[in-house]
This record gives sequence, structure tokens and C-alpha cells, in this order.
Amino acid sequence: MLALQLLFNGLATGCALGVVAVTFSLVYSTTKLFHVAHAGVYTLGGYLAWSLSIHGAPFVVAFLVAIVVCAGVGALIQALLYARLEHRHATHLVILIASLGTLAVMQNIIAAVYSPNILQFSLPWASTVVAGGGSIRLTVIQVLIVVASVAAYGGLMWFAHRTILGKQMRAVASNPFLAEITRLRPRRVHVYVMAIASAVVSVPGVLVPVDLGLQPYNGVTPLLTATIAMIAGGVGSITGAFVLAIAIAELQNLSLLIIPGEWSIGITFFIFLVFMLFRPTGLFAAAR
Amino acid sequence: MDFWLSYATLAAIYVLLGLSTNLLVGIAGIFSVSQAAVFGVGAYIVSYLLMNDLTTFLPAMLVAAAFCVVLNVLVTLPALRVSGDYFVVTSFGIQLLATAIFTNWTAGTGGANGLPGIPPADLFGKTLDTSTDLVMLSVGAMVLGCIAFWLIMRAPFGRLLRAIREDELAVAAAGKNVLRAKVSAAALAGAFAGSAGGLYATFLSFIDPSSFDLDASILLLTMVVVGGARTLAGSIIGPFLLLALPQVLSLIDIPTTIAAAARQLIYGVLLIAFMLFRPQGLAGEKL
Repeated sequence: MLALQLLFNGLATGCALGVVAVTFSLVYSTTKLFHVAHAGVYTLGGYLAWSLSIHGAPFVVAFLVAIVVCAGVGALIQALLYARLEHRHATHLVILIASLGTLAVMQNIIAAVYSPNILQFSLPWASTVVAGGGSIRLTVIQVLIVVASVAAYGGLMWFAHRTILGKQMRAVASNPFLAEITRLRPRRVHVYVMAIASAVVSVPGVLVPVDLGLQPYNGVTPLLTATIAMIAGGVGSITGAFVLAIAIAELQNLSLLIIPGEWSIGITFFIFLVFMLFRPTGLFAAAR
Repeated sequence: MDFWLSYATLAAIYVLLGLSTNLLVGIAGIFSVSQAAVFGVGAYIVSYLLMNDLTTFLPAMLVAAAFCVVLNVLVTLPALRVSGDYFVVTSFGIQLLATAIFTNWTAGTGGANGLPGIPPADLFGKTLDTSTDLVMLSVGAMVLGCIAFWLIMRAPFGRLLRAIREDELAVAAAGKNVLRAKVSAAALAGAFAGSAGGLYATFLSFIDPSSFDLDASILLLTMVVVGGARTLAGSIIGPFLLLALPQVLSLIDIPTTIAAAARQLIYGVLLIAFMLFRPQGLAGEKL
């Protein structure tokens, strides 16, 4: 019975992680930047929604505002920071350090404004049990996380393959130089990509804290797990990242049966080591 | 007076860490946020050996340094074999894993409460417990570290590392083993960080996981970025400046609840500002 409950929990966390992984992968494959500050955007979304909903805004409004603001923040990070550094031919290392700096700034502004303690949403509907009997509980918010995450994943897939902007994005990702000479303006596409990725990552960024609460430094572990999922799934494969994120979350949750929860970071890291040693290109990389 | 002595002692220890971070990030060009984890491993090993009376100070330092060398080689080798970005993941992972171990392995590390009562350092049978002794010890270690760093950078190995930063492909084409050079740099960085950990533990006689977390790693990175990458001067200036910052902040009236966040916020701003406007730091070379 416990195993079944853990499977459900793993599915919810896994889907949320999947969205983080997919959006990170989108940024990584288009801009080639290891966007560490993505964890900051993820955290920011949750706090924005929390503030609005604590001041009486309906949850839907708070959710939408968070998405829009996160999109703006993502676009600003690209336009004001990454694009400038790239323009000056800064090395990869310099941009990485700047990204880490951005993460530190975002997390600590949040910690200074909202205190470093755990905050909880007060949304009674979220923890209502939809299904289950006995010891199994499946709450509204868990179902919502799964539905919204799968929708976000589907939406991104549709967007990348069926829209003009999505095709431009993939063109820039596969060959920036060729994209430039065919007047695709990679720099502008990069800003769009960051805006979209930041908007989408705030979906789990808002929904997961409704279930588990908010903390300013809580974005790093999901981001780490998501990057591991991206690498294990094969860099460049959106589906690979999503599937592997769910698989890792399930493994983590099932491992709770034998190993205490505080060591789950060890499980994640072990999976990464195995992939790094035996299949560094990832599972879904053959498609490229 | 005591304040200045403890400031100098701590700054000297952080110079060793600055040298370590500079070797890894500045010179070998490997982005790392797990320096504090290695520092912590050194600190816990020396504490364990001294508290259980297993060895005296110097052998304990050697064990810690050797262990950190092995640790850094094991950590960097698989990731760097694949790509630099994989090492970013490894580095975050090692840091979070180390924090989890320091906090949760209560039997070995004292858990979140830390390890109190670490005995003071001793050299050749003499116990070093006055603040003058301690400042001599850590400044001595710092000077040794600086000389070692300077000699290494002048040696063929140092020139090879510089060449790799200029053009990795050309170095590989010239028949040099780039991976081996990078891993060796990481190993050296481990030795520096491990010994710094030992000095830190014996100086404070108390350690807890909060000194070795991700924020501490970010501080170390900020020290190198502010001081300047790839130079000896940069690795010395950065720690001395940034360790003075909390004192300056305590002059301004910031509520204690947000003091830690304010400090980290400043480190973040410094990282961004230096990358945008002065990537070579105050006294460094191009990063």
C-alpha cells in the first residue's frame, strides 16, 4: 500500500520535475548556456503567487500573474545579462558565474523579503482527497500538478514543432550561424526562448509549493535533479528529459521504502554517476 | 587586538582556499561550486583524528590533504572526461550531497549541531593555543601555500595549464594530455582546500555544516572573482576584502534575521557586477 502511495507521489513530483527539465533543456539547447538562475525563476514564481493569494487574490489570478512576471524576469536576464556578456565574447565560465550570481541575488532577495522560513499556502481545496481509500491519498493539487505538467509538456512539444517561432527556435538551436545569415536573428529568439522557458517553469514553481510549501533556497535541488534528467534523457531531447525526470522521481520515492528521505540527493547523484560512466550521451540521444 | 589576530588567522586560511579555488576555476577553468564541500571534508577528517587522539596535528593534516586530493580526482575525472557542463552538475551534486552527509551523519559529524571541542593544533610537541601562535601557524601555512602556488605556476606544469586556458585544442594537438593536466590541477586544489579545512577546525575548535554549504562555496568563488583570477595577488586580496565585509555590514543597522541573506545578496551582486564590468577582478587576468 505504501509503495502505491509512493508511486503516486513520485508521479506528481516527477511530472513537476519533468517541466523543470524540459524548460532547462530548451534554454540549454538553444542558447547553449547552463542557466543556473533557472532555479531562481522557479522559486520566484511560487513566492509571487503566495503573496498575491495571501492578499486575497483568487488562486487563478495569482497563478497567471506569476507566470507573466516570471516570463518577464527570464527575458530580462537574457537581454540584460547573458546577451551583453555574449556580445563581449565572454567565456562560458564567465557567463556561468554571472548566472550563479543571479541565482544568489534572486534567492537572497526572496529570503530577505519573505524570511528564510517555510511558508504555506492557505488553500483548503488543494489538500482535499480526490481518490483513494484506507491509507492511500491522492489530493486535488497532486492531480492538478500532473495534469498541468503534462499539458505544459504537450504544449511545448506542439509549440516547438508546429509554430513558426518554435521552428525558428529549433533552427537557432541546431545552427546559430546559419540561422543568423538567414535573418532569423538568434539574439531575439534567445530572449523569446528564455521568456517561454521561464513562464512554463513557473507552472510547477507555483503548484509544487501549494502542496509542499515554500523556501527561498528550495530551487537548487529540483534544478539539479532536472539537469540530471536532461543529461540522462539525452541533451536536446525534450521527451527524454520529461520521461527521465519522472523515472528519477519514482526511483527516489520508492527508495524511501529502504533509505531515509534525507539521503534522496544521494540516489539522484548515483543515477547521474551511472549515466556519466556508462551512457554519457543519454538514453534518447540516438534521435539526433 | 584579539579581533585583528583572529581576522588575520581566518583571512590566511581563506587565502589557502582562494588559492585552491583559483587553481580550479581561474587556472584550470573548471566551474566549481563544491569547494566548500572539500574544505569541509578536510575539516571533519582533522577533527576526527585529533578528537580521537589517533594522530598529532601534522599527520592529520597530511591525511586530510591526501584524502581531499583523492576526492577531487574521483569527482573531476568522470565528468571532465565528458564535458565541462557535466562538471557543473557534478559540482552542485557533490556540494548538496556533502551538506546532506555533514548534517545527517550524526555519528561521524555531529550532525547539524556540529562538532565542539576540537583540540588545538600542535607542532613538534608544542601545543599552539594562544592567538599569537595560531596567527603564526596560519600565516605560515598561507606563505607556504603562496610559495607553492608561485612555484607551480612557473614550472612547466603551470605553463601547460596556462596554455590550456588559451587554446585547449592547440594544446591537445601538441600532444599534451589536457584531461590529465586538468585533473592534476583539481587534485592540487583538493590538497589546498583540505589543509585549509584542518587549520579552520583547529582554529575555531568548533565546526558545523553551515560553514561548508553551497553559500560558502559561492563565497569562495566570489573571493576569487573579486580578487582576480589566475594570479597570486588576486587570491590574497579577495579573501582579505570579503572577510572584512561582515564587519562593515555590522556597522550598518540591518536586522539580524536578514543579515545572512543580505551578505549572500552582496556576494551575488559582486559576482554579476564583476562578470559584467571587470571579469579580471581587482588584480587578476582575463577569466
